[in-house]
Amino acid sequence: MRRFEDMNPLCAAFYYLCVLGLTMFGMNPLTLSLSLLSSILSAVLFGAVKGRGHAFSLILFLIAALINPLIVHNGMTVLFYFNDNPITLEAVLYGLTAAGMITASLYWLRCLSKVMTSDKVLYIFGRFSPKLALLLSMSLRFIELLRVRWRKIQDTQKALGLYRDGNLIDALRGRARVLSVLIGWTLENGIVTAESMEGRGYGSGRRTSYSAYRMHLSDWLFLPVCAGLTAVAVVGQVRSTVVFYPDMQMELWNLWGILGAAAFAVLGTLPLIINAKEALRWRGLLSKV
Amino acid sequence: MARLTLEGLSFTYPDAKAPALCDVDLQIEGGEFLTLMGATGSGKSTLLRLLKPELRQNGTLSGRVLLDGKDIGGLTARESASAVGFVAQNPEEQIVTDKVWHELAFTLESLGARRELIARRIAEIAAFFDIEPWLDRETATLSGGQKQLLNLAAVMTADPEVLILDEPTAQLDPIAASRFIDTLHRLNRETGLTVIISEHRAEELIPISDRLLILEEGRLAFCDTPKKAASALKDTAYLRFLTASARIFAGTDGAGEAPLSVREGQAYVNGLTVKEIQTAEKTAEQKASALSLKNVYFRYERRGADVLSDLDLEVKEGEIFALLGRNGAGKSTMAAVAAGLRRAYSGSVRVFSKRLKDYTNGSLYQGVLSLLPQDTENVFLRETVREELCGCEKAEERLPFDFKPLYDRHPFDLSGGERQLAALCKALSTNPRLLILDEPSKGLDGNMKALLCGVLKGLKREGVTILMISHDVEFAALCADRCALFSQGRIAAADETETFLFENRFYTTAASRITRQKTRGGYTVERAVKLLGGAGC
Repeated sequence: MRRFEDMNPLCAAFYYLCVLGLTMFGMNPLTLSLSLLSSILSAVLFGAVKGRGHAFSLILFLIAALINPLIVHNGMTVLFYFNDNPITLEAVLYGLTAAGMITASLYWLRCLSKVMTSDKVLYIFGRFSPKLALLLSMSLRFIELLRVRWRKIQDTQKALGLYRDGNLIDALRGRARVLSVLIGWTLENGIVTAESMEGRGYGSGRRTSYSAYRMHLSDWLFLPVCAGLTAVAVVGQVRSTVVFYPDMQMELWNLWGILGAAAFAVLGTLPLIINAKEALRWRGLLSKV
Repeated sequence: MARLTLEGLSFTYPDAKAPALCDVDLQIEGGEFLTLMGATGSGKSTLLRLLKPELRQNGTLSGRVLLDGKDIGGLTARESASAVGFVAQNPEEQIVTDKVWHELAFTLESLGARRELIARRIAEIAAFFDIEPWLDRETATLSGGQKQLLNLAAVMTADPEVLILDEPTAQLDPIAASRFIDTLHRLNRETGLTVIISEHRAEELIPISDRLLILEEGRLAFCDTPKKAASALKDTAYLRFLTASARIFAGTDGAGEAPLSVREGQAYVNGLTVKEIQTAEKTAEQKASALSLKNVYFRYERRGADVLSDLDLEVKEGEIFALLGRNGAGKSTMAAVAAGLRRAYSGSVRVFSKRLKDYTNGSLYQGVLSLLPQDTENVFLRETVREELCGCEKAEERLPFDFKPLYDRHPFDLSGGERQLAALCKALSTNPRLLILDEPSKGLDGNMKALLCGVLKGLKREGVTILMISHDVEFAALCADRCALFSQGRIAAADETETFLFENRFYTTAASRITRQKTRGGYTVERAVKLLGGAGC
């Protein structure tokens, strides 16, 4: 079963590049509301954002939406005065649109980090530079290693009575010592890693980069579909008029605008469509088992 | 033609007075399984490293190493990387990448192999080493035994002709170690791989070795089959490198073919008569409690599983208490909870009848309790041993070991045993009444273990209570008063060492397994020899 998450990482990378680009570079309320909706849907179905994350996004959305009308007073339609400053309809709508853009982008980015695991990032880098891929893989390992070691050294020194006085200066001095041991230990052990690498042929010539991912037919099909939908959505955005200040001029519902929005709707829900299709197919296959 | 030929191999480190390796001649046939033994500093690592050109260190080398008749120094980087595989001691540091599959791919990636070959080799190796279930896991989440198995598997992906291992199981618990050695044996038996291993674990290795090599000060002191070793080494100090069966055989003046395995040892011992020796009546005295844990529960994460659950432990003042159990069972966690580094979410921990939280402002760690962790590297904070032990003069006098010659060395340059003793010295500097030691015998050779055992007994006489966490049953048998088995987050059974080792069938010493059908107290080789009528050994 090839769900969206199981497809070739290049597909996922290209896909999120497209949706993020469309979301971030167009201030089109129509596509942005579609983007927000589909990104939330995606995030929920991929399990990328959970309860507290949604609350955080909501707060962020409200703040972003409120700030614009409070500091920008452009616009023809004055709604009311706040501290003798005019609050205009245009600024409110612009704020809402911008907040939608920021929130949608964040939701897409969360989906991206959920779907793009370290293996996949590595695969993409490995295609361009095997050395860079190795560097990345080693760094990822090191972060975890350093975290564990820091804790170990800290505990050891505490139990051996490093922190005597219990004041801030003593604590800071202790931490500095621990950091120096951490670095010393890491460098010392780095020699063993280096020997292990050399013993296993590192630096003996050109490296290759292995990955378990392959390009399937569905991956090859996915890329042009994704590109086509993006192109239509771009044309739709270019052909529609979006002006906020000084008074709003929106022309969203012409032929290209509608086509573009439709293309974006499909694009935004593409992973969900793929997964739904796969789930259906799986049901059919299950009856044969 | 021999697979590996060593011709007059000598090696001297820069600035060293004596050579580390002196005129070693050796022929190793293809498919041989060789075990290399010797005390720390006898040149084992030096010899093994000379067989792998990438790992040779600076120094003066004379003599030659021939692989299938060709000088090993003349191989190209790629040839040599794939012809000779090397596994070192530390499981953690040899791993390069973050994912298990990537680690397996690393060797072949470096050698520039095709994608298809890498994919096939990974599949093949993963199946042979049974690591398929954790192929997608992160290397940081593996246990020590799994890490070392992964290191071996990763080296084997290059399909080497000769495999060299430098104390690969020194850091592993006994179960993981025998699994590792079993895998090695299988590789040797099923693929005809030539294996050269340096290791202290005689019980598992000697019965499967074709030849046993003993190095002494850079010279080959012994090189023959293990069967011949028992009689040839009878009255020498090298006897300690052999299995318990062979040592009991030599100690009781056995004749004929020496037994090597536990089974052979049992057959031999059954033909002997047991001497009755009077043991001093034990006086059951009520001693105060030094450390007591009652109904302790602990977990690392809210949603995680309990690491300690309903744990009860009582260590009496002035005893050496050994807590045994497999790695990852939660023994070290228990030590951290007992030492106040982690807080139990339920239950009580008392040190000298005082609750942990009543020791305020770190007073617990000043004169009451000291905890020495497994990785002694993180004990040291300074550049030289002198600075490190500054302020520990009193503690230094308590240890029967002279640190003065080591004063100008960097703590990381000490051998495992020296480092352990220096760390112990630091732990004693706060003058603790309760000492908690986590795996004190890890990676030590027999001599060092005996020395450490003497140190611990000396501290006990001075009134220090010692709680020792270990997977090394043989070491616990040497020095512990009481032993307990840790399992499922609690103490499964605590008892006097003699009863504990006699009643256990698996978690006991080799000597106890050999003699348990005949006698009760023969849980170390020395005791067994005494009981079975030997002159002593």
